[in-house]
Amino acid sequence: MALETGLQYILLNIALNFGIYLILTLSLNIEVGFTGIPEFGRLTAALVGSIAVGAIIGRVAAALAGLPTGNEFISYNAPITTQINAYLSSHAIISIALLILSILTAALLGALIGLLTALPAIRLRESYLGITLLSFGEILRTIMYNYPDVIGGTLGIAAPSFFGFAGSYENIISLSFIFLMALFCYFIAERISRSPLGRVMKAVRDSELASQVYGRDIMIVRVYAIMIGSAMAALAGALYSIYTKSVRADVFTRYSWTFLPWAYMMLGGVGNNLGVALGVLILSSARSIISVYKYEISQVIPVDPVWLEYILIGMVIILLTLFRPQGLLPEKPVATISKKELEKIRKEVLQPAKQ
Amino acid sequence: MLTIVFTSIAYASILALGCAAITLWYASTRVFNFAHASLVSWGFYITYIFYKLFGLSPYLFMPIATIATGLIGIAIYVSVIRRLIRAKASEITLMMVTLGVDFILFAFLNMVIDYFANVYKWDIKNVNIVLTDPTILTVANTPIKGVHIVAPLTALLFLVSIHMFLNKTNIGIAMRASIENPELASILGIDIDKIYTLAWMIGGALAGLSGGLLTMVMQGTSSIGSDLIVLYFAGSIVGGLQSILGGLFGGLLVGLSERLIPYYLSSVFPWIYSYRFAIPLVMLVATLLLYPKGLAGLVERRWR
Repeated sequence: MALETGLQYILLNIALNFGIYLILTLSLNIEVGFTGIPEFGRLTAALVGSIAVGAIIGRVAAALAGLPTGNEFISYNAPITTQINAYLSSHAIISIALLILSILTAALLGALIGLLTALPAIRLRESYLGITLLSFGEILRTIMYNYPDVIGGTLGIAAPSFFGFAGSYENIISLSFIFLMALFCYFIAERISRSPLGRVMKAVRDSELASQVYGRDIMIVRVYAIMIGSAMAALAGALYSIYTKSVRADVFTRYSWTFLPWAYMMLGGVGNNLGVALGVLILSSARSIISVYKYEISQVIPVDPVWLEYILIGMVIILLTLFRPQGLLPEKPVATISKKELEKIRKEVLQPAKQ
Repeated sequence: MLTIVFTSIAYASILALGCAAITLWYASTRVFNFAHASLVSWGFYITYIFYKLFGLSPYLFMPIATIATGLIGIAIYVSVIRRLIRAKASEITLMMVTLGVDFILFAFLNMVIDYFANVYKWDIKNVNIVLTDPTILTVANTPIKGVHIVAPLTALLFLVSIHMFLNKTNIGIAMRASIENPELASILGIDIDKIYTLAWMIGGALAGLSGGLLTMVMQGTSSIGSDLIVLYFAGSIVGGLQSILGGLFGGLLVGLSERLIPYYLSSVFPWIYSYRFAIPLVMLVATLLLYPKGLAGLVERRWR
C-alpha cells in the first residue's frame, strides 16, 4: 500500500509537471522556435494568468457568494476562500462557468500583456530584446510581490477551488483538465505551424529581409507571435494556480518559469512541437523523479539532490548547444496537406505528362 | 544621513565593477553572460569561507576570490564559449549556454556551502559579516567604515589601470583592436583567441571582486548573484555595452539611483522602499527604448 501511494504520488507529480510545462514550452516554442524572438520573460504572462485567476475570478466568485471583494478580500483571504469554496462545491454549474471564465480571462489578459510588452520592445535586436523582456518580467514580479492589493503581496492569496464539487476526485479531475488544455494547446501550436501565419513566422525567423521583400510587415508578425505565446503562457500560469489553489508572486521565478522551459525546448528541438513534447516529457520526469526520491538519492550521493537537478539542466543546455543544437527531434518542413492528398495531386499532375 | 550617502557610493562602486565585467564580455565576444551571477556568488562565498577559516580581515581574502573567479572565467571561455564563437553561434545561443554554465556553477557553490554547513557546522546559508568591517575614522559623528574607502578606491584604481592598460600597453591596444574589428586585428597578427581569454579572465576577476566586496555592504545567500544580476545588466546597458568605462559609470549611476532615489523620496512616498529594485530595471528599459547607445554614446565623439 505504501508503495502504491508512493507510485501514485510520483505519477501525479510527473503528470502535473508535464501538463503545465508542455503548455509553457509550447508557448515559448511559438515565440522562439517559430518566430525567433528571444523570450526571456516567459514568467510575465504566466504571472498575469495567475493574477487573472486569483485577483479577478477570485473576486467574482466572492461577489457571487455574497462576500466582500474589497480590502477584506485580501486581509481575510483564508476565511473568505473557505466560504467561497463551500459555496462553489455546492454549485457545480457556477464553478464550471467560473473555470471557463478564468481560462478565457487569463488568455485574454495574457495576450494583452504580450502586446504591452511587445509594442515598446519589439524593435530591439537579439540580446537587447531578451534582456528587456526579462526586465519586464522582473518589474511585474517585484510590483506584485510588494503591492498587497492585487494578489496579497508577500503572503499571496488562495485561488478558489473550482473542482470542489468532485469531492475526493478533485485532484484527478483538475489534473485531467490540465491535460485536456495541454492537448488543446498542442493542437493549436501544430495548427499554427501548418498555417500561413506559421509559415510567415518561420520566414521572419529565417530571413527578416526576405520576408520584408515579399511584403510582410515583420513587426506585426512578431507582435502576433508574442500575443499568441503570451496567451498560452498565461493559461499555464492560470492552470497552475487552479491546481495548487494558491496565487503567489514569489512562485513565478526566472528559473522555473523562463529558463526551465528554454531547457526543455532546446532538448526536444527548437521549432518542432513533437520534439518539444518529448523534451518536456524527459526532463520534467527526470525533475519529478529527483524531487520525489530526494532522500534515497542523498543516501547514495552525499549531496542535496536539488543541486543535481541544476547540474542536470545546466549540462543538458551546454552539451546540446555544443553538440546537437537542433535538439533530439530536429525541425522538419511541415506538410500543409496530408501525404495521401499530396500523392493524389502528384499523380494528377504527372498523368498528362506521361501520355 | 551621511552614512546613507557613503554606503550608496560604496555599493554603487561595487556594482560598477561587475557592470564593467559584463560590458567587457559583451564588447569582446558578444556574450551576454548570465554566469556572472554565480561568479559574483562565488566571490562572495570564497571571501567569507576564507575569513571564517583564518579570521583576520575579510579584505585580505578578496584577492583570492578575484583570482579564483578569474580562473573560472578562463575555464568558461576555453571549454564552452570559444567553440561556439568559432561556429559563429548567435547571441541568443551564447546567452543560453552561459545560463547552463551558471546553473552548474551555482550547483557546485551550493555543494561547497552544504559541505561547510554539515562538516564544520557553520551557519553559512545566510552570510552576514557587514558588522566586522572596522570603522576607520569618524567624520561629523558619522563612522566611516573600511568599505566606504576601499570600494570607491578599488573602482577608481580599476578605472585608472584599465585606461592605462587599454591605451598604453601593446596588449591593451590589441584588445581594443580586436573589440572594434576582429578580422582586421587578426590580419595584423593579433592572436584574437588570447585576447578573448584575457577578456574572460579580467571579467571573471571583476565579478569575483565585486562579489567579495559585497560581503561588506550586504548580507546574502548563494543566490545573491542571481538576485543582483538584473541590476548588473541594468548598469551595463545604461552604460551602453560599448566601452568598459561606460559600463563602470553605468553601474555607478544605477547603484546610486537604486539607493539614493528611494531615500530622498521616502518622505513623500513612504512605500517606495519596497519597489527600490524596480528603479534600475526602469532605467534599463528607458535606456534601451530612448537612447540605446547609453552613456558611452554620449561621449562617443570625444573618444574618436
